[in-house]
Amino acid sequence: MLITVLKSKEDIECVAKGKTICVTCEGCKEVHFPEVEAIELVKELNPTGNVITEYVCNPDNLKVQLAKHMDKLNAADTVLVFSCGVGVQTVSDNFRDKKVYAACDTYPLPGGQGVTPLEFDCEQCGECYLNGTGGICPITACSKSLVNGQCGGCKDGKCEVDKEMDCGWERIYKRLEKLGLLDEMRYPAKLRNFNLMYEESK
Amino acid sequence: MEDYTKFRLKSRDEIVPLLEGKDNLFVVACNKCFKEFENADEPERGEFEKIAAEQGKKITGCVNVDFLCNKTTTQNKLELPTGTENVAVISCGLGIQTVADLSDMPVYAAADSVKSYDGHHGMALTTVRCDGCGQCYLNLTGGICPIVDCSKSLVNGQCGGSKNFKCEVSKDKDCAWDKIHERLAAQGRAAEILNVPVQLRDHSKVNFKFIDDYVKSIREKRFEGYYGGIHPSEYKELAEFFPLKTFPAPDNVVIPLSQHAGAPAQAIVAAGDTVKTGQKIGEAGGFISSTIHSSVSGTVTAVEERLHPTTGVQVMSVVIKSDGKDELHESVKPVQNWESLSVDEIADIVREKGIVGMGGAGFPTAVKLKSPKPIDTVLLNGCECEPLLTCDHRVMLEFADDVIFGLKVLIKTTGAEKGMIVIEDNKHDAIELLEKKTADIPNIGIVVAKTKYPQGAEKMLIKRALGKSVPSGALPLDVGVVVSNVSTVKAVSDAIQKGMPLIERAVTVTGPYIKNPGNYMVKVGTPVQSLIDHCGGLTSDDVTIKLGGPMMGFEIENFDVPMIKGTNGIIAIEPDVSEASDCIKCGRCADVCPMELLPLYYPKLAMAQDWTGANDKSVRDCMECGCCEFICSSKIPLRYSIKQCKKGVIEQAQKEGK
Repeated sequence: MLITVLKSKEDIECVAKGKTICVTCEGCKEVHFPEVEAIELVKELNPTGNVITEYVCNPDNLKVQLAKHMDKLNAADTVLVFSCGVGVQTVSDNFRDKKVYAACDTYPLPGGQGVTPLEFDCEQCGECYLNGTGGICPITACSKSLVNGQCGGCKDGKCEVDKEMDCGWERIYKRLEKLGLLDEMRYPAKLRNFNLMYEESK
Repeated sequence: MEDYTKFRLKSRDEIVPLLEGKDNLFVVACNKCFKEFENADEPERGEFEKIAAEQGKKITGCVNVDFLCNKTTTQNKLELPTGTENVAVISCGLGIQTVADLSDMPVYAAADSVKSYDGHHGMALTTVRCDGCGQCYLNLTGGICPIVDCSKSLVNGQCGGSKNFKCEVSKDKDCAWDKIHERLAAQGRAAEILNVPVQLRDHSKVNFKFIDDYVKSIREKRFEGYYGGIHPSEYKELAEFFPLKTFPAPDNVVIPLSQHAGAPAQAIVAAGDTVKTGQKIGEAGGFISSTIHSSVSGTVTAVEERLHPTTGVQVMSVVIKSDGKDELHESVKPVQNWESLSVDEIADIVREKGIVGMGGAGFPTAVKLKSPKPIDTVLLNGCECEPLLTCDHRVMLEFADDVIFGLKVLIKTTGAEKGMIVIEDNKHDAIELLEKKTADIPNIGIVVAKTKYPQGAEKMLIKRALGKSVPSGALPLDVGVVVSNVSTVKAVSDAIQKGMPLIERAVTVTGPYIKNPGNYMVKVGTPVQSLIDHCGGLTSDDVTIKLGGPMMGFEIENFDVPMIKGTNGIIAIEPDVSEASDCIKCGRCADVCPMELLPLYYPKLAMAQDWTGANDKSVRDCMECGCCEFICSSKIPLRYSIKQCKKGVIEQAQKEGK
């Protein structure tokens, strides 16, 4: 999943030249899309059209949704897409001979699976560490992704990298203590095999 | 269909030592997501249980859960049997962490998450990817992403290692920068990239802090008041500033005898009879039913079957030709000293004046007033959470005193301690006005709710305003609450203060394809067509007309149908052109369902006519708010299947009952 943030107005004005038509994707609006800001900006840009659609990342759906607006789209010099990077690429693939521009920057959202914005993150390391850590992930809950315990920089339970973040290993210790499983920590640390992360995708 | 493997069961060599010294296992398995949706359990759980059994382990129970990472829906399914000592979870890391967070027992991962694709994809299962770099390069590169398409994620052109357009890192991959050059050259923009200085990649842009804050704000929004819900574009500005105008009485009205939940009314007039405005023309046909009154004075020209606007079937209707005089019937006179009347007497007035819920469902208000259970709160729904509609908003602004009066009547009749008016925060003027007017009424308060659909649904309203959950299958009165719409209490006020039965209501005629949107006080029985004409007609031939809001309204094709007591809007909107494709199990429907159901199952179950399964998946709790259909990334018409399932469940229950 992704979250989108509008690019600066200057950046967008730089590319939105000539006859511009906007394509706004509202599919993931409930996850995050800067809807109000996008509408405001489109108004200011005064394009030849603004096609509001959803899930432009789905090529079949995109074709259906755009069918009615093809005249306007074909007449335009520039297509300005308000969506995540996947959406921009899908639109651009549809109009290979047209300038297709992104109006948003895209950020990753924790939880590559599922679409719920979660308080947990999984890096898909391929060798789940949760068994020894009481179900708290050291890869994502520790800023340094340490697998062998606290770094020593933690103060009052807070991480030294981000003072507002709880120390992942302190949480792990407390959870294990509560479960009566502190002995788990005596096992030798399992070294991380970074190969695993990519092996499966090939 | 693309299938992204999220996790795989750990190997036997890992599971055997993991199980050492651990017994009495409860096994939780996730049904996976972003895959072809099959109504069958994943095989991993069986394999794990087999290995556990070989090791002589006792399994105390097991469960398969959809979207295990969704904490709200997962926590209802995790009931650990007594005797359980350990929990084994077969899921990706997100699911395991969710269970670990919910459980007091040690939780163990029986699977490893697999990075099956680089970066994060959008909703659809496509090969196009985005790495979420936070500084989109696509504007410079003709829409081809150098970050994900180039093996080296170079942002300053080809590395020099490409041969015959192929990448040197992986020979079967096209060189991204070759593709970029080709695309730009085809568009005559090849020089462009040479003249632009290289944009260095700022890796600090994507940082924990930024994303963490974002996620927190999104989660807060999602759990605001109640779980799920959606935020469709409101478009209220089209009509919200137009004051209510009295719509000219039509020459002919068609008044259906069934405008409410329950039995239709029985006509007590016949063709040729003369009637006056407010005269009763239909007698209630049962306890759950309502009386019907003439909305004009004139002559009854027919009592015959006419097309019903929302059910789409022919129902008995009274057709009246107006004489244009609008003479009031003698029964229309104010009630004296209402405060001295008993509960039954007030309920009888409400019943006699044909008052039904005006939010759409049309449940007879008198039935709600005579609750068999004690009531402590009367909730007034002033949310108007449907996009476009603004008539309730106008009623609150222009009939604030009537609304408060009606609420007082309801509080007294139900014996409630207090009344609350819930208004969404997009109606500032109404909130301000009603707060001022109720400031010195000790038992009436205003609750400001964040704008979110379906805020106005009874159960959501109760949860948001009072923090109470109405159990599955129960009614608001089971938790001591009566919910009513602001227009309905205005009608109650009219019935008592003026003696006027429910013969007209506020209607919003709006939508992007209505020439002059507006709000009108319209007589029941007025043809939809005359309202559209009065508002300047439609601005396009290709439109969808709905009675009600865009989410829960009824699409109509014949515009000669009359508007009825429950019609709060006539809207002209863009027709839906989407085509349904296969479910990709993205989980968005489960994410937004305010009733915490799993809507994705209903099309499958309806197709298989598995009504027992539909009942198990609580289809009867669904209120058909349409959030799932709105959000569905495959555009599946879920509500159609839900209606089928409900019908099937009811028919099956009846069959078994006999």
